[in-house]
Amino acid sequence: MTYKIVHKTEYIYFEPISLCHNMARLVPRSTIGQNCKKSTVVIDPMPDVINEFEDFFGNKVTYFAIQHEHSSLSVTVSSEIERSTVSTKEAIETYGKTPWEDARMQLYQPRLDYIDARQYVPETAATTFESGITNYALVSFTPGRAIYEAIHDLMERIYKDFQFKPGFTTVATPISEVMKLRKGVCQDFAHVGIACLRSIGLPARYVSGYIETLPPPGVEKLVGVDASHAWFSVFIPNIGWKDFDPTNNVVPSEQHITIGWGRDYFDITPLKGVILSSGPHRLSVSVDVRRA
Amino acid sequence: MIATRQASLFQNYFSSNYSYNELLGEDGSLRPYWQTFFESFSHLGPEEIQERRVAIHRFLKENGVTYNIYGDPQGLNRPWNLDVIPFLISKDEWTTIENGLVQRAELFNLILKDIYGQQQLIKNGLLPIELVYNHPGFLRECAGLKQVDKHQLVLYSTDIARSPDGKVWVLNDRTQAPSGSGYALENRMAMARIMPELFDGLKVKQLSPYFTDLRNALTSMATNQTQPRVVILTPGPRNETYFEHSYLSSYLGYTLVQGDDLMVKDNIVWLKTVGGLERVDVILRRVDDVYCDPLELKEDSQLGVAGLMQAVRSGNVKIANPLGSGILENPGIMPFLPAIAKYYFNKPLILPNIASWWCGQPKEMKYVLENISTLIIKKIYRDSTVSTSVDGSLLSEKRIQELKEEIKTHPYMYVGQERVTFSSTPSLSDKKVEPRNALFRSFLVSNNDSYTVMKGGLTRTSSGSGNMIISNQLGGMSKDTWIISPETEKGVQNTKIAFNNSLQSQSQAQIQSQSQFQLQSQQLQLDAVPSYKSVLPSHTAENLFWVGRYAERFLGNARFLRTVMQAIIEGSRLQLDTDKITDQALLMALTHYTFTYPGFIGEAGKAKFDNPWKELYAMMFDATKSGGLTYNFALFSRAVNAVRDHWSTDTWRVLRSMEEHWIEAENIQHTHFKMIAMLDDLITSMVAFIGLNRESISREQGWSIMDTGRKIEASILLVNMLRATLVNKYEDQVAYNLQEAVLKSNESLVNYRYKYKAHLQLPLVLELMLLDENNPRSLIYQVFRIKRYLESMPHNPLNMNGLPEHVSLINELYDELKGMSKEELSKLDESGGTYENLDDFLADMYTYLATIPNAISKTYFKHTQPQRQLFTADKIT
Repeated sequence: MTYKIVHKTEYIYFEPISLCHNMARLVPRSTIGQNCKKSTVVIDPMPDVINEFEDFFGNKVTYFAIQHEHSSLSVTVSSEIERSTVSTKEAIETYGKTPWEDARMQLYQPRLDYIDARQYVPETAATTFESGITNYALVSFTPGRAIYEAIHDLMERIYKDFQFKPGFTTVATPISEVMKLRKGVCQDFAHVGIACLRSIGLPARYVSGYIETLPPPGVEKLVGVDASHAWFSVFIPNIGWKDFDPTNNVVPSEQHITIGWGRDYFDITPLKGVILSSGPHRLSVSVDVRRA
Repeated sequence: MIATRQASLFQNYFSSNYSYNELLGEDGSLRPYWQTFFESFSHLGPEEIQERRVAIHRFLKENGVTYNIYGDPQGLNRPWNLDVIPFLISKDEWTTIENGLVQRAELFNLILKDIYGQQQLIKNGLLPIELVYNHPGFLRECAGLKQVDKHQLVLYSTDIARSPDGKVWVLNDRTQAPSGSGYALENRMAMARIMPELFDGLKVKQLSPYFTDLRNALTSMATNQTQPRVVILTPGPRNETYFEHSYLSSYLGYTLVQGDDLMVKDNIVWLKTVGGLERVDVILRRVDDVYCDPLELKEDSQLGVAGLMQAVRSGNVKIANPLGSGILENPGIMPFLPAIAKYYFNKPLILPNIASWWCGQPKEMKYVLENISTLIIKKIYRDSTVSTSVDGSLLSEKRIQELKEEIKTHPYMYVGQERVTFSSTPSLSDKKVEPRNALFRSFLVSNNDSYTVMKGGLTRTSSGSGNMIISNQLGGMSKDTWIISPETEKGVQNTKIAFNNSLQSQSQAQIQSQSQFQLQSQQLQLDAVPSYKSVLPSHTAENLFWVGRYAERFLGNARFLRTVMQAIIEGSRLQLDTDKITDQALLMALTHYTFTYPGFIGEAGKAKFDNPWKELYAMMFDATKSGGLTYNFALFSRAVNAVRDHWSTDTWRVLRSMEEHWIEAENIQHTHFKMIAMLDDLITSMVAFIGLNRESISREQGWSIMDTGRKIEASILLVNMLRATLVNKYEDQVAYNLQEAVLKSNESLVNYRYKYKAHLQLPLVLELMLLDENNPRSLIYQVFRIKRYLESMPHNPLNMNGLPEHVSLINELYDELKGMSKEELSKLDESGGTYENLDDFLADMYTYLATIPNAISKTYFKHTQPQRQLFTADKIT
């Protein structure tokens, strides 16, 4: 399946800005089952400096600076992604049955991929273990339960227990608040899942990306109605990284497109910047994902 | 050999049966260098030693040597304490220490390069990933950067101590932005100056080679080798070791900057100066690395430079120590060091670590939990604002349980360390020599090939004799540290300090006055100093501008306050009606002038006319009264301290005595005369401060900025005073009194009499105070000087659309003033109650004068724009 994705972010400033520094993590990386054939970044006004590099996690980063006066900024990323399914069915049937405690033990064998995965075990500021996170996790992770089944169950419980409700939380809302409200958006659900898994010693990471949405049959899809999406991924010994989407209660396949990943949202913030200004600004984002 | 007159000093010293005694050799006799030392020491005699102690204290205070204590309102600028007895280390012992330190620095350098490079140590199981990746100092942004130089770790510092058996242990490693080298240098200077006799017969090693190599290391780091610019990045005056930042800036001749003095443009770091942007090649940073770039690191940091990581990535700027080096300040690494030393060098560690157990391993955690009350528990990272180390033996049972829980939840964040008993060293406390525990901080700098160790260092001692935790934050004393050569050379005193001459202000006088100054080494230093033109960072310029304004404001307020107080004392003596009206007019004018509303204004104000002294007292001493003298003095003091590297030693002395007088004054009985006498003293000191600066402020541009501030403030004050006193028409005697008060307060009465040889009359008073170009107190005199300053300031080519705003404003102001006549100003309005022309004119002047500073600020102090973080979508849905 091939997708064309257009992701446009626009800032309008209420007073002119003479200098801004920005970091965009909007160019999708290629990964298993995903080939980023093309991705172009168009920035208006034309930046004075653009540096492109890969970050610590291998994500594609675009740094740019605008060093002349401007009153608006738009960043448009157009990507062409080839997505395919990679079957891990056999591996899951064999290794997914491992009791989760055993899987956790295996991580400490001296294997490079295990060492690498262990960096995703510790909590981060956005995925702290407080407020009953561990207890919430242990309902799914009963002693000796098969690891794959337990993770799947956790995803399903988050889907059922938490209400999808935009506007209740912001990027700064702590996980304890989300646990209390039982409301939030995909980013919160991903963080809850990650915190649960880490609290019992399993490596989990945050994935930033898109999901294809389809209009009801017979209705034509509107432009720009899609949105950025996020979910979590777990490292299971002998299987590797496996994605789970608690917002939709699905195991991602061809309809999920990955931009990149990190320990939490703050490692893979789509666009951030520093400006010299005290004035307010207005922001609009539109995303369009469609089959080529 | 200890002379009997020293017996009293040493009372109880040896009987205290203390831990390892630094004084004694293995055979129980006094070590030879201590013997030599105490011969000189006892030769001075107890009285002399007491006097020298006081002298040292004064020396440090007058040089502004301070240490800020966090969270203590009185803690800002706490004076530095120095013991007159140094910490002595013999040459033999030093050789081992030096070799051990160099080995350790090399080892830490390799670990640093590996952590941010190939990560072989992690892959080979020599360093657990949890120990590295969980440490907040591990900056993922710094991984994979090009490592050009042999030494990534440029600066390295350790705390070491002796145990009672004489073994030397490493307690802490400092790799981020090690502090203390400036204090060590200042300690040596104080000792050389005040206690020169003690160096007799001891060949004490010099500190200067370390600083020479530091300068070389910094300049050789630069990618651009033609006159590279080095700056010192400080978090600012509130930082605990700010004194040292400004001291090193003076000593090394590098501009001291804060984050907002710098900006990144075209992947290059620039210094914002009054004259425009200047490229920065190397940053000696005293800001913790996570605070250095709000774009990529800590987002809410106000101390950093947005885009700095990009400049580093592009190779356009080098930072010492590099960003990310905080990862090595990690006591959890200690237990792994022996194996790592074997891996890299195939050799054991020369200096042993203190025994440590990292709780990230099950066995070690079990040990720590079982022995918690006998260990020191540390977090693997250090937060400079709170203590991250606790002595298990001092904890309550409840706290121990809590700590155990914390360790079990986050085992990899904790380390248990053996509680070491330190050896003692003699300290002079009050009048006795007593044993104190000592901790010695050493300093190393890369010399490209290997590391140079400072031959000396900073020794700190505990505040009480049983106290094991030594921290500047907790008080205690410091000591100079002497490395003693075995051979004693007759007639040679190794106390001279090499010095670079350029861009120097504060310490120059004090060092050149030292008789031991070595010309040869000075010459050597001269060659190493780059000769780029001195620049004034905009931030510094702004502070100097405000020093000028606050100094003048303080002076103006003090003078007017004094004039009013004198008038009231005289008026109450004679009880004339006209005096009463004068006094009331003056009191109201004083409130307008000082902006201490409500003061004597309004109904409540009138009630104070009969006894105005309570309000006058508050104007002087009430720190919460905005516009009052104490309040203004605090503003002045803050601005002065923010640019402390600009003041000479003499200036510091004046400032300190002003501060002291102020503090004392609050505690004495206040008669009216005493209050006036105090104002006299303060006025004299402030005039001295201003006068001294004219002579000694190090950069010419600095003086013009400061004087511009003074002249603007003086103009505003004068305009305000005239408006508050002379605009209303009073009966002749009252008008006379008020005019006299204005002239007195502006020190122009003598001038008036000399010039006019006539009775006071309004047109002449106005001419003298506003329009007389030869009267240094007149408005036109101030305005003319402001005009000259502003015209001579560099004009930023970016803002060139005709004349800059502040220049055209001052020109208009000057022209208007020049075209005014005293007759025009002295015309009464139709009702005959006010001098309306005068009022309008003064109001006009005021508007100009209030607008000009904003225009100056926009052009030269641009950094004031706040920095903001932008995020995309409020939320990813």
